Amino acid sequence: MHGVPRGFSLLEVVVATSILVVGVAGVAPLLVVASRANQSARNTTLASLLAQQKMEQLRALEWARDPSGGLLSDVDTDLTVAFAVGSGGSGLRPSPAGSLDRNVDGYCDFIAADGRVVGGGSVPPAGAAYVRRWSIEPLPPDPDEALVLQVLVTRDGSLPMSPEDVRLTSIRVRGGL
Amino acid sequence: MTRSARGFSLIESIVAMAITLTVTAGIFGMVHPARRTTAAELEVADLQQRLRVAADALSRDLLLAGAGSYLGPHDGALGLYLPPVMPSRQGATGDDPPGAFTNDRITLLYVPPTAAETTLLADLTPGSLTMELAPKAGCPGGANLCGFARNLSVLVYDEHGNYDLFPVESVDDGLSQIIVSKPPDALSTTYAAGAKVVEAVSRTYALRTDPATGSLQLTTYDGTYNAEVPVVDHVVRLSFDYFGEPLPPAISRPLSDESGPWTTYGPKPPDSTVKPTAYPAGENCAFARDADGEPVPRLATLGAGPGLVQLTAAQLTDGPWCPDAANANRWDADLLRIRKVAVTLRVEAAAPMLRGPAGPLFLNGGSARGGLAWVPDQEVRFEIAPRNLNLGR
Repeated sequence: MHGVPRGFSLLEVVVATSILVVGVAGVAPLLVVASRANQSARNTTLASLLAQQKMEQLRALEWARDPSGGLLSDVDTDLTVAFAVGSGGSGLRPSPAGSLDRNVDGYCDFIAADGRVVGGGSVPPAGAAYVRRWSIEPLPPDPDEALVLQVLVTRDGSLPMSPEDVRLTSIRVRGGL
Repeated sequence: MTRSARGFSLIESIVAMAITLTVTAGIFGMVHPARRTTAAELEVADLQQRLRVAADALSRDLLLAGAGSYLGPHDGALGLYLPPVMPSRQGATGDDPPGAFTNDRITLLYVPPTAAETTLLADLTPGSLTMELAPKAGCPGGANLCGFARNLSVLVYDEHGNYDLFPVESVDDGLSQIIVSKPPDALSTTYAAGAKVVEAVSRTYALRTDPATGSLQLTTYDGTYNAEVPVVDHVVRLSFDYFGEPLPPAISRPLSDESGPWTTYGPKPPDSTVKPTAYPAGENCAFARDADGEPVPRLATLGAGPGLVQLTAAQLTDGPWCPDAANANRWDADLLRIRKVAVTLRVEAAAPMLRGPAGPLFLNGGSARGGLAWVPDQEVRFEIAPRNLNLGR
């Protein structure tokens, strides 16, 4: 062996240990990232179910013809209460322009973090975590027959949509599916 | 001895040991909570996935509920003949009694896309296990009963409110017969020639205690002699609310018309001189006759309409009964009102070490002491308006 075995100097040990500490500390934020990802997944799941719930409520409203061909349209059901069982609301009445972009009374409701409806109106009540807006637009070629239904669920209520927001679109045809 | 071969001084050793100890202690201090957090985050992801699977399975079958036959007589949505959504377990084994209402069980019935659709050629009497079927037109290779096969479930129903699900034991295509096994509550019913025979799917969702772990799981049962099978583990709450048509059924086209549907929902009344059930001649569970012999609804008006109303357990279990109040397989005619089902699902963390004390966060308490690694239960609510129960609405 050439030269004399010297061992590590104190400085070398300190440098090596610092590298180890920095490496281990770099792993720690991954846990935070995982936690955020799970939270985001939960928000998206909840938002999807909330959007689906509103769409199903809209699809359960009467939009048919009586035996003599007269129009049967539900323009009375209040969709801003739990389970959409209220009356004196707007039902399937066409929504004003921009009802997905801002809170329009009768076309939006507010949901708590646990998924319960906390109220309608246009100003979020205390405890609201999600805003759910919907629009009902007659389809131009035959406005008496078909409606375009859209539902938007968002956390902060602002546009553009965040990745956790959910938007559903569907078409309802009179007396059909 | 040269200077470099002298080794470390005491001071150097102490400093080096102190640094090593501090760094190691720091790393250990981080690893312990990190291990708990990792376990918790994995469980959160798994719990959410279980929630999604449960919600998806229920939504899919709820959406299909009531899909009916699309060929031949007695076609159209099942809701014109029988209740496609029942708030109880229905099937050959472990059947809930007639008129049962349990808010954590639901049975859904629908006809899948199938070629197995025909009618009875001869009466099916209570003692017989052999169904004589009308040969189907258009089967390839001159077969009589294409589509029918062993282990299929066939639904037999008539226009008076009788219906049963029979597992097929064997098919004799040459004789145009199928042999079925008979569930106990079908033993007293006679199905007249002309009754519909069609492949159908029955799904009962319920909670059951898993014998292996003692925890609750969501199960599905297919209405036959098979045991129920688990869908998702650690589902701690399942409840259903029903919303329905406030208006009673009405006649929507003359009863003399060749083809239906004749009513807005429910079975059409028989001819005024015919008495197929215990109800007076010309009447059934959905319609009575007034002094002039015109059909009038037997069901009550529950609201002004057209919006849906919540259906209570009492309304769904107090009659009027179909086919009639004496039938062993009777069901409440108000079940035909159902248009929307709301589902509440709650899922818990699998490991007790991730669950804290019982309370708002945890339905079943666990053994976790600190709040650091708690994985609270997650609960969701969703609603489904089954498409085939809302035809013509």
